[in-house]
Amino acid sequence: MMAGCKDRERIFLDGSAEEWTALEQHAAACPACAGELRGWKALSAAAAEMRDYREDPALWVKIENSLREQEQSRTAWRGLREKLGLWGEGALVWRTALAGALVVALAFAGAYVVFHRGAPDAGQSGLLKNSALADVERTEREYMKAIDKLAMDAKPQLDSPASPLMASYKEKLMVLDSAIDELREQAGGNPSNAHLRYQLLAMYQEKQQTLREILETKP
Amino acid sequence: MGSVGLALRWEHRISSVADEGGRRVESSESAAGRGRASNSLPDDAALAAACLAGDLRAYERLYQLHGAQMRNLARNLLGARADAEDAVQETFLKIQRGIASFRGQSSFVTWTFRILVNTCYDARRKQMRRKEQANDDSEHALPRPELRAPGAHPTLRMALERALAQLTRQQRDVFLLYEVEGFHHAEIAAMLEISETASKNALFQAKKNLRGMLEAPRSAEAGAQ
Repeated sequence: MMAGCKDRERIFLDGSAEEWTALEQHAAACPACAGELRGWKALSAAAAEMRDYREDPALWVKIENSLREQEQSRTAWRGLREKLGLWGEGALVWRTALAGALVVALAFAGAYVVFHRGAPDAGQSGLLKNSALADVERTEREYMKAIDKLAMDAKPQLDSPASPLMASYKEKLMVLDSAIDELREQAGGNPSNAHLRYQLLAMYQEKQQTLREILETKP
Repeated sequence: MGSVGLALRWEHRISSVADEGGRRVESSESAAGRGRASNSLPDDAALAAACLAGDLRAYERLYQLHGAQMRNLARNLLGARADAEDAVQETFLKIQRGIASFRGQSSFVTWTFRILVNTCYDARRKQMRRKEQANDDSEHALPRPELRAPGAHPTLRMALERALAQLTRQQRDVFLLYEVEGFHHAEIAAMLEISETASKNALFQAKKNLRGMLEAPRSAEAGAQ
């Protein structure tokens, strides 16, 4: 059998003993294949470094103890099953009867739940959610109205800020209004998101507080 | 895949530490010296039957025959000796619990090692979870090797372990099972539940990648000479 450079990879992958011999013969006269062959074999030799087959009798003692413990608990369980007769003669009939009894009990329990639950309340929780949301939105609208009133009162001071402080208040309100618009847009897409509602409320409170401070500042 | 920092000419260095390496390298399944992991079938069946009968001496025999190899594989897969010992112990308990389900489709030893490999995977997952919970960085998630047998070449071994950690799981497992533990591809295929061809391909790719990582670049070698 003959082997050449082009056969090398295939032989590395899945070569027979004869093919390996042929490759080695070829490598004797081919430095490139000789280098590849040496590198390939060196890895196998290096793998020997990862072998440590020292005996460890102490580990066997641990394993033996745990095997005994497991066997004892298994034996105890088997004994219990035999006492109960679950796997004894006539067990099939016994187990079928037990399964049947369970099915009947489940059917009664299901019927009890259906007949004693009262009038169907489908969608009630959904309505509750909707009514809570309506409450929040109503309160929010009233709160906005009150804040708008404050804003109207503060408008003259803000339109022509007389001091750097007033100019910075104006800027702060612009930032707050932009944040409020953004949050309202998000809340519009997801009206029942309580987290967004809390954030919106915090913004309103901040705006209200800022407007109060403006009105309390003497022109 | 980058180099793992073994700048020395490792091919030359290993020749002084493992003179049997050349004999084990060929992929021919008939090569001598590959039989360490395999067991003759009558012994294998007898051992399985004795374990099924609940004979603890059979388990002891299994440990005498394959315990050291099981521990070594577990240690190479998990890194720490204590974790490896736990995995071997857990494997024996699983064998005792599941021996009734052993149908003999593969050899008993192959079945045993399949349980061991799966136990190591489970242990590895737990290790990862523990490390994630402890907010360790990803570098520490890899198994940390410990010092091995006296006489082992620590630098070479560490370089190899570091390079192995960069392979895919299948490439690493096949390399360890074939090159380190001496199993045949048919046995590895049964253990890892892959085809023999996949096992051969994984070994080929593993060795190619390892060479890429372990060997100094050709230009550097030429410069050193």
